[in-house]
Amino acid sequence: MLNEFRLGARLLKRDWTAGELKVLLFALIIAVTSMTSIGLFIKRIDNVMLDQSGEFLGANLVLQSPKKISSETIDYAHNLNLNTSHSLNFSSVIVANNNFQLSHIKAVDKHYPLLSHIKTSNDLYGNETQRNSGPIAGEVWLVPRLFSLLDIKLGDTIELGERLLTVSAVLKHDPGQAFSFMSIAPKLLMNINDVESTGIVQPGSRLTYMVGITGKKSNRTTFEKWLSPKLNASQKIMGGTEGSEAVNSAMEKGKQYLSLASMLSVMLSGIAIAIAANRYGERHYNQAALMRCMGAQQKNIIRIFSSQLLILGVIACGIGCLLGYASQQIIATLLKDFFNSTLPAASLSPLFNGFISGLITLFCFSLPSLLRLKSIPPLKVLRDDLAPLSLSLWFIYGLAILCIVGIMWWQSGELQLTIMVLLGSIACGAALFIISTLLVAISKLILPGLSGPWKIGLQQIIRHKKQNQLQMLALGLSLMILMLIFLIRNDLMMRWQNQLPEQAPNHFVINIQNDEVEPIKTFLQKNNIKTEGVYPMVRGRIIKINGVDILDRTTNNKKLDQSLKRELNLSWNNSIQANNQIISGTWWNKDTQGKPYISIESGLAKRLNIDIGDSITFNVADQEVSASILNIRSVQWDSFQPNFFIIFPDGIINDFPATYISSFYLSSENKQLLNNIIIKFPTITVLEIDDIMNQVKSIMQQVSSTIGYVMLFVLFAGIVVLAAAMQSSMEVRIQSAVIMRTLGARKSFLQRSHLTEFALLGYLSGLLAVIGTEIISYFLYTKIFSLNFELHFMLWLYGPLFTSILIVLISLFYTRDITKLSPTKVLRYT
Amino acid sequence: MQTTSDAVIVVKNLIKQVPAVNKLDNQQIDILTGVNLEIKHGESLAIIGASGSGKSTLLGLLAGLDDATNGDILIDQQNISVMTEDERASLRSEKVGFIFQSFQLLPSLTALENVMLPMELQSKKTAATDAQQLLQRVGLKDRQHHYPKQLSGGEQQRVAIARAFITQPTILFADEPTGNLDKTTGQNVIDLLFNMNRESNTTLVIVTHDEVLAKHCDRCLVLQNGTLSDCEQVNA
Repeated sequence: MLNEFRLGARLLKRDWTAGELKVLLFALIIAVTSMTSIGLFIKRIDNVMLDQSGEFLGANLVLQSPKKISSETIDYAHNLNLNTSHSLNFSSVIVANNNFQLSHIKAVDKHYPLLSHIKTSNDLYGNETQRNSGPIAGEVWLVPRLFSLLDIKLGDTIELGERLLTVSAVLKHDPGQAFSFMSIAPKLLMNINDVESTGIVQPGSRLTYMVGITGKKSNRTTFEKWLSPKLNASQKIMGGTEGSEAVNSAMEKGKQYLSLASMLSVMLSGIAIAIAANRYGERHYNQAALMRCMGAQQKNIIRIFSSQLLILGVIACGIGCLLGYASQQIIATLLKDFFNSTLPAASLSPLFNGFISGLITLFCFSLPSLLRLKSIPPLKVLRDDLAPLSLSLWFIYGLAILCIVGIMWWQSGELQLTIMVLLGSIACGAALFIISTLLVAISKLILPGLSGPWKIGLQQIIRHKKQNQLQMLALGLSLMILMLIFLIRNDLMMRWQNQLPEQAPNHFVINIQNDEVEPIKTFLQKNNIKTEGVYPMVRGRIIKINGVDILDRTTNNKKLDQSLKRELNLSWNNSIQANNQIISGTWWNKDTQGKPYISIESGLAKRLNIDIGDSITFNVADQEVSASILNIRSVQWDSFQPNFFIIFPDGIINDFPATYISSFYLSSENKQLLNNIIIKFPTITVLEIDDIMNQVKSIMQQVSSTIGYVMLFVLFAGIVVLAAAMQSSMEVRIQSAVIMRTLGARKSFLQRSHLTEFALLGYLSGLLAVIGTEIISYFLYTKIFSLNFELHFMLWLYGPLFTSILIVLISLFYTRDITKLSPTKVLRYT
Repeated sequence: MQTTSDAVIVVKNLIKQVPAVNKLDNQQIDILTGVNLEIKHGESLAIIGASGSGKSTLLGLLAGLDDATNGDILIDQQNISVMTEDERASLRSEKVGFIFQSFQLLPSLTALENVMLPMELQSKKTAATDAQQLLQRVGLKDRQHHYPKQLSGGEQQRVAIARAFITQPTILFADEPTGNLDKTTGQNVIDLLFNMNRESNTTLVIVTHDEVLAKHCDRCLVLQNGTLSDCEQVNA
């Protein structure tokens, strides 16, 4: 065994000196570099997003409770070396200059915020200053709106309960913003030590205690596990990925885009390695046959060549990992300004993943070549036409495909996405096979009518039918991946970002009473404020599913879904909202209109494990309302429109007490209008969600620019793969060109016939790639990213044309010497 | 058939059929129809015949590179017809050397490395020194670090001869060793081959259509219609 390893190593060294290994080594390095760099970068972005969402909470974890959190809990956190900060939230009236304003009071200790900063300024529209802690005792910070509501300026005193406090700054940003949804009033930040002296907090006061927690992730997990079973219904613990449906949704989508990009790069790498390994095998048939002739047994052959692959793999994967690390470091540096902060270092696990994935891919895709080398008949040394056994190659390649799918899944963690990419590729492969067979048949038909270079070019395609089919498959799949990446960057991402236009709603208005709906509409219209609509909202709790009490349904150790613990916002509507899409069932029509049906949001339906036809009973204002599910909707939570888990047809729950909700966009200069709204409609509540929106926008931008870099990388890898795919067949072509030149073919004749062949090959591969791209993107658009799918006409027009030019250019590079050299030299050269 | 004790190769009623190119009619083509042959130790034998007569097929079978349809081949009294391919491989590594028409040198290896290869496969430590000695013997010591591409056809075949002798085989099979060489070069290669053969007392089996080469051999057989007969009988 050791001898074979040594011999393998020696032969490898000699192959290396002779320049035989460049293609395989290069393909592997590219593969591992792209896998690790993208993997590392995604990890980094992931960390950024988590950090930012942590920033959103002001901590990694937030424990929320209406009662004081026990010292046992805090002690346990401290024992785990976790940091804690305390805040107390309540509503109270602030008095100043005889103005009264109900406000959200947030009292914080000196440790708050554990993550990120509070931002303040010295005048309403002045420059922001970052602060690491809240106001000192005796001082308060107020959001800009309070200044005009109370008619005060910086340095004035406000009255809070029995206490006078000095306004020392304008509060511009509070990292615990996630909770702005629960606050129904403008915010005041104060020192927790001042709370007692205000005298506001009395037994029976409605308070929300919050403890922010940061520290090592493993310790946080331990803490969460310890605490979760101890929480009662009114307490909850929120992690980085919770907080807001909109941010969650954006983060999920962002990760999916990145995973998709990484998956495509893995696939491209697989193709590169498959081509290179196949070529490596073919180049070593004679060597293997000769060794068999000299008495090497099959096991010796396998061991010798596996040793070579192992050594080659370890070296290439090592280099790939280093390059991958370096390149993502460079990207991170380039993107530093963009992220407005230093990217957190990535964990090193993607390096390990890239290394192992590279080796696995190498061996999976080299397996067919290895087995062929092993089974090579020694008689090949006497008869060159003998080819090694090609038994059950489908099975072996099937195995290789399974392996690459496994790696794609492992690297991305997205099963559905992996399956879709796989199905698309298989469909593309099948289409490719059928079309290429058809084309060869057509070529045969039209061949007799042709002459000159066209004839020779076409003849080449027919003669090397099998090889051409394989080559077209490799080219088609690689081009498909390039087109997909291009489409993701330039179409999918754009459409995702366009869903959140510049003037997406940044304010929600809730608690609108029935008789205020029209006046508010008129008010908004008068002030040129656009709104998408005013929707009714009725509070209701799910109590039964298919007649069975939900408590009975969930006894089997299953946790009660959050949605069952609280009241949901139910709404009614005759037509479906623009950002909602029916994914199964139908919207109400004449027959179903006004009947007890509901439309349910897909995520909720999935969590509750219910489907069309199931009936749900709600408790609405102490009455039971039952309705069966007529359709399931996907909801675009990051659209910042009012959205509902449950929608009834008009006429079922209209009689219950309802309030209305709306959303609109207001630029920062027009914020003053908020005061007018509140003065005119004192009972409504306006929620400002600019921070959440900025958060979502920043996630979109980060993902978009990351994919831009990934695209460049994949493009580079793609061209290398294309070149490798071309090179593998180039020798045969060069040889026939030489023979033709020897027989007197002119250079221009050969050039034209080459051009014909490669232009056609490029165009057809491009066309097949477009077909594959459309198939995959159909699934991506409709099933994963919930976007409308339309055929990409520009892609059909320019895709094949562009690839045709690309392939011709690559072929010109490879055949550049052939027409220059004299036939004798070329004959020797080959 | 009676076999003499000093026979290295004994062939009994060897039959080789291959499927017809047009596989639809399930027909078989007879290449060898019943070859009987005995080759003595140290003997040199030429097998001649027209192109496509089955010479190379016979050589492949004798060397255990291919399976016969029927019949037995004994090498050093071991019946290779009943052996598995791996068993035959291990027999080849001990007893058999090859020289090919197209030299079959590995392009990525230098002359020296090509000669070393058979010994390296057997993990012998003296590979490099033995190979250098042999390259000196074939007059290519100065070119040992050259790649096949940098060598002329005659030089390449001399490297191949050195490689064939390095394992000190009992039998040497040569398939048209001068087929790709001009007359003078071919003659030089023949002289070298026979000199080295004599020195090491190897049994030499040459397949060729070069009659000059055939005359150098102790015995000459011609393959015609799937069977062997004496060259002289055919010529007469």
